[in-house]
Amino acid sequence: MLSREEYHSGVKEAWCPGCGNFGILNAEKRALVELQLAPEKILIVSGIGQAGKFPHYLRCNFFNGLHGRALPVALAAKLANPELTVIVHNGDGDCYGEGGNHFIHTIRRNPDITCIVHNNKVYGLTKGQASPTSDKGFKTKVQPYGVIHEPLNPLALAISLDCSFVARGYVGDLQFLAELIKAGIQHKGFALIDILQPCPTFNRVNTFRWYEERVYHLEEDREFDPKNQLKAFHKALEWGERIPLGVFYLHPKPTMEEQIPALAAGPLYRQKIQPSKVLDIMEELSALS
Amino acid sequence: MPSAAMITTPKKSNKILMAGNKAIAEGAILAGCRYYFGYPITPQNEIPAHMAKRMPQVGGCFVQAESELAAINMVFGAAAVGVRCMTSSSSPGISLMQEGISYLAGAELPAVIVNICRGGPGLGNISGSQGDYFQATRGGGHGDYRTIVLGPASVQEMYDLTFAAFDLADYYRIPVMILADGVLGQMMEPVVLDPDRRSRSDLPEKNWALTGAKNRPPRVIKSLYMGEGELEEHNLRLDKKYRKIQSQEVRYEEYWVDDANLLLVAYGSSARISKAAVNMARKRGIALGLFRPISLYPFPSAALAARAVKIGRVLTVEMNTGQMIEDVRLAVNGSCQTFFYGRPGGGVFDHEEIFQYCLRLMGQA
Repeated sequence: MLSREEYHSGVKEAWCPGCGNFGILNAEKRALVELQLAPEKILIVSGIGQAGKFPHYLRCNFFNGLHGRALPVALAAKLANPELTVIVHNGDGDCYGEGGNHFIHTIRRNPDITCIVHNNKVYGLTKGQASPTSDKGFKTKVQPYGVIHEPLNPLALAISLDCSFVARGYVGDLQFLAELIKAGIQHKGFALIDILQPCPTFNRVNTFRWYEERVYHLEEDREFDPKNQLKAFHKALEWGERIPLGVFYLHPKPTMEEQIPALAAGPLYRQKIQPSKVLDIMEELSALS
Repeated sequence: MPSAAMITTPKKSNKILMAGNKAIAEGAILAGCRYYFGYPITPQNEIPAHMAKRMPQVGGCFVQAESELAAINMVFGAAAVGVRCMTSSSSPGISLMQEGISYLAGAELPAVIVNICRGGPGLGNISGSQGDYFQATRGGGHGDYRTIVLGPASVQEMYDLTFAAFDLADYYRIPVMILADGVLGQMMEPVVLDPDRRSRSDLPEKNWALTGAKNRPPRVIKSLYMGEGELEEHNLRLDKKYRKIQSQEVRYEEYWVDDANLLLVAYGSSARISKAAVNMARKRGIALGLFRPISLYPFPSAALAARAVKIGRVLTVEMNTGQMIEDVRLAVNGSCQTFFYGRPGGGVFDHEEIFQYCLRLMGQA
């Protein structure tokens, strides 16, 4: 029986007091304990930003790489060893800005990866610039006259790409967030969990109080069906007075790994190189010469 | 948006206390840069922050891009239509921009790129470093090209050289890089602002800029040369330009060199620290001197060689494991002894440390 302590790395967190990342760490540990996933079976991949620090604070295999590039790293790791549970932790600037292109194309490929986005709608590590998800009018020291661009809507984008699992969590609702992370890890295919989190240091608009007044569970709407792409898309556009939380869209389909014949015999790292397999090709080539 | 009344023009010969990053932004604005594109990264965030505030005040445009790749390609676009534009970043972000810089060089477009260098390789750390000397002075991206590289050593120089960079970029149709580091970017010093400073008067007309084709044939900006011999011809033309730059744009400073019997060679932050070591030595009657390259490309090879051969011993001091020393060795070409002192990975030495090392070299410790 794995206890919560098994997942403590012992590294002191370098986040501001009151940071939403503590809630995500807490919820993820809860999810991993409930799933009884052994630390050695988990690979956490992160990029750069406050979310990039996340795997340092969890006892498991981890890869902390380049800004915006966590998804391609995670995809290749999953292909080389599909037995690993691969979880990506990145931020809104990391995943939707610098890594926006990778986000789109990893969804298309549908590897069995859980992509958790710490969405505080601001750049934290570089001290307070607007991020791709900052709302219009949001003022920072680099946007002193307010953001003039439309915010990126990650859920609507993912649903439009037929992403196989699309959910939104909130750090103020920990048990619910832990359940979402559990569901995302258990889902076979690419699972996006966008997590709303306040940044007490650089985002004085989207605070705990701001969210508390707005968030509600999708389950409250009895007619909502996460298997309906159009309805899910419609729900994903809801933002403002009411902000829905939960699983927006579910579309189980074959994963990338399942469609690669070489992986049927097990993870690549365990497969022996068999020179005999290329003999036919070599004979064919020598016949040509 | 700010009103016209908010436009602040510094008073004539205004001496104010300013951080290096802000001085770069002000130097660019004075030079007429009205388009800034960038992406957040430490330790240069003060440049975009200042540009974000100032661009609308001076009738310019600030864009925070979605990535460094976007930022350098925005620079590419703005340069192509003939306006003065710039971007800034720090080491990993500059690496991301290399493809765009190579294309700018190939297409012969003027632009200013600022690297407030941090420790590497990879993500490294956010401390000041000189680990990007090779990348900056060897072109950095793919292909046979160079960019002009200027290495300021004070906040005043960050202001002055950024201004000069825009003139050089326009005159030679070339990307110009300001290579500083986190220490210079963050520190504050008095700067004399010079609002009356004007660009050189011999700048060529931008008769290549994409300004619309009314009453004339359309213009093309490209770096693709597929015809037989075309690319070779293009490269030879670029080489001719680089040779002209090598002969005309060399900048350096010499300090206490006339009677020196050990010559320190250093640029940027390490030159400041080396200068303090020279001062320390001179107070004790020890004859250290300093040669400070300001243009890192073109490297002041001839001037350095002339000085070094008289002194006989040269110590290159860098915040890395030895990069500029290769240019120093090429310059002196075996005519004197060469030594190296460096600290990598964001490690910064102090003047005492360099002074003690000099004493050991001179057999006086």
